[in-house]
Amino acid sequence: MTVRRRLVGWLADAALILYFVFALFPVAWMVILSLKPANQLFSTYFSFSPTLDGYRTVLGDSEGIPFVRFFVNSLVVSVGAVLLSLLVGLPAAYASARWRFKGSENLMFTLLSFRFAPELTVIIPLFVLYQKLGLFDTYVGMVWVLQLVTLPLIVWIMRSYFADLTPELEQAALLDGYSRKQAFVKVALPLVKPGVAAVSLLAFIFAWNNFVFPLILTSSEAQTVTVGALSFLGGDRPKYNLTAAAALVSVVPPLLLALTIQRYLVRGLSFGAVKS
Amino acid sequence: MTELELRDLRKTYRARGRPPVAAVRGIDLALRPGELLGLLGPSGCGKSTTLRMIAGLETVTGGDILVGGASVTGLPAQRRNIGVAFENYALYPPLTVAENLAFGLRARRGADRADVARRVKEIAERVDLTDVLDARPAGLSSGQKQRVSLARALIREPDVLLLDEPLSHLDAAQRDTTRRELKRIQRDLGHTTILVTHDQEEALSLADRIAVMKDGVIQQLGTPYEIYDTPATVFVADFVGEPAINLLPGTATADGHARLSATARIALPVPVAAGREVVVGVRPEDLALGGEDGLAARVVAHEPLLESGLATLAVDGVDRPLVVLTGPEVRLAHDDRVQVTADPRLTHVFDAETGDALR
Repeated sequence: MTVRRRLVGWLADAALILYFVFALFPVAWMVILSLKPANQLFSTYFSFSPTLDGYRTVLGDSEGIPFVRFFVNSLVVSVGAVLLSLLVGLPAAYASARWRFKGSENLMFTLLSFRFAPELTVIIPLFVLYQKLGLFDTYVGMVWVLQLVTLPLIVWIMRSYFADLTPELEQAALLDGYSRKQAFVKVALPLVKPGVAAVSLLAFIFAWNNFVFPLILTSSEAQTVTVGALSFLGGDRPKYNLTAAAALVSVVPPLLLALTIQRYLVRGLSFGAVKS
Repeated sequence: MTELELRDLRKTYRARGRPPVAAVRGIDLALRPGELLGLLGPSGCGKSTTLRMIAGLETVTGGDILVGGASVTGLPAQRRNIGVAFENYALYPPLTVAENLAFGLRARRGADRADVARRVKEIAERVDLTDVLDARPAGLSSGQKQRVSLARALIREPDVLLLDEPLSHLDAAQRDTTRRELKRIQRDLGHTTILVTHDQEEALSLADRIAVMKDGVIQQLGTPYEIYDTPATVFVADFVGEPAINLLPGTATADGHARLSATARIALPVPVAAGREVVVGVRPEDLALGGEDGLAARVVAHEPLLESGLATLAVDGVDRPLVVLTGPEVRLAHDDRVQVTADPRLTHVFDAETGDALR
């Protein structure tokens, strides 16, 4: 019995390790790729003389590609998109959690459908509109279009946080003489701070990872890393080592953020699914 | 000390695609300054809706609410100066007790820091919270939470105090002490108070007068003794009193009795037209074992509760069991034959159809 159980344990471990290797192989391959010198790109698999030249090139703004700028662009539009979504989304989430009004549910599901609908279905009209409005390749344009990604997420997750608060807390504040707005800002908001942290991070990651919008709606001024990293593939010879280095660098901010507030993140993801 | 008056207060909930629900259907109440009135009723009777309308947390469909003679019906909650102690206490978790108390005072512009601190200290002494002023709500017992909630409502010196099921979340021991505290504090400070509860014990022990509510209507308004001694309807008789009153359907006879079955008869307290369908109510404590002219019955069960006992009897020919409160000396066994008599002066009779008391 015990032998059998131990055997099952080992087999399970072996299967997990196998899956782990399988899942992490692409990442490992990218790390190896990024460390290869240009002349050994196609001639070696694992044995090569590792060099940080790839990273130096990418961060050093050579090859005529302003990668650092793309990186800053990504930061600006992602942070901007999250901030704008919080500004609009928190009151919206609160209102939808506290009041039912005519069409409120339809409104909420319409908002959610922005998340479901593939971006490609609207990208061509958006491109035309952006061209005409002068929003093409601008920060404002990118922050705006990323609302499709960040706003539904923030509204829906924060809504369940607000719904979880008992309304009596705010009602007590009203009776004390606070206004509706003060009850929201002074009573409800501070209690959902952990939720705001979690959802901001999630929204940031989604905004940062977005590819289609910057691909079509930017060219150089507001282009982000996800698209910018591809620039190294262009030209007479694809520079896979630079692409890999660029991609790895671009993963750093979301990864760091995720590690710092991992606890909140898990809670944010599972919120509403499991009743506490 | 302010009087509170409700005039034909109504609340109807309307939702699209559903029939309107009349939660409160015309309530008239007048509270004397400093009076504690208990609003007693089962869940869904509209008592909480009434409380929320007085507080301004619910819009009013019809009627008027007057505080100190002036209508507050159109005013938002912020401008009514009404204190509410919520059932779930509504304490702000990140703040200490002192900060929770001060929070309410800070709402007003120009609240003086020293003045706030002084009033927090004052109210804490009043409700015996001085020791826990620096604790957070999570670290308090439910009795302490209840007192903080009360203090939070009182610190603004409201014109009217509303208590929503103040004792329902307390265990038995805390309930007794908190109830006494509540009574003392309300007396000391003299706030006109409405207590909403479904627990008769809470209402009877605290209230000067009780309004028994059902289906959005006040069934009876009176002192605890009036409610107990002369219930106005079958519902009131049934709802108030522990153990519950015995309600026996029957037909009035020409000689001042009600026929409960072919063999069982019971004397009525008032003359009733012969042939009228009635419901006779007798409280378990108003029934006595023995006597000549009583109802013949068989013992179904006897629960000896030491200082008293509770006997469940099957009266010959009557379907409903009859519950009798017995003295400590009574020993009964299953299937014993007994006679049970009711004092006609303590018997109640109601119209079977309307449920109204016949007097």
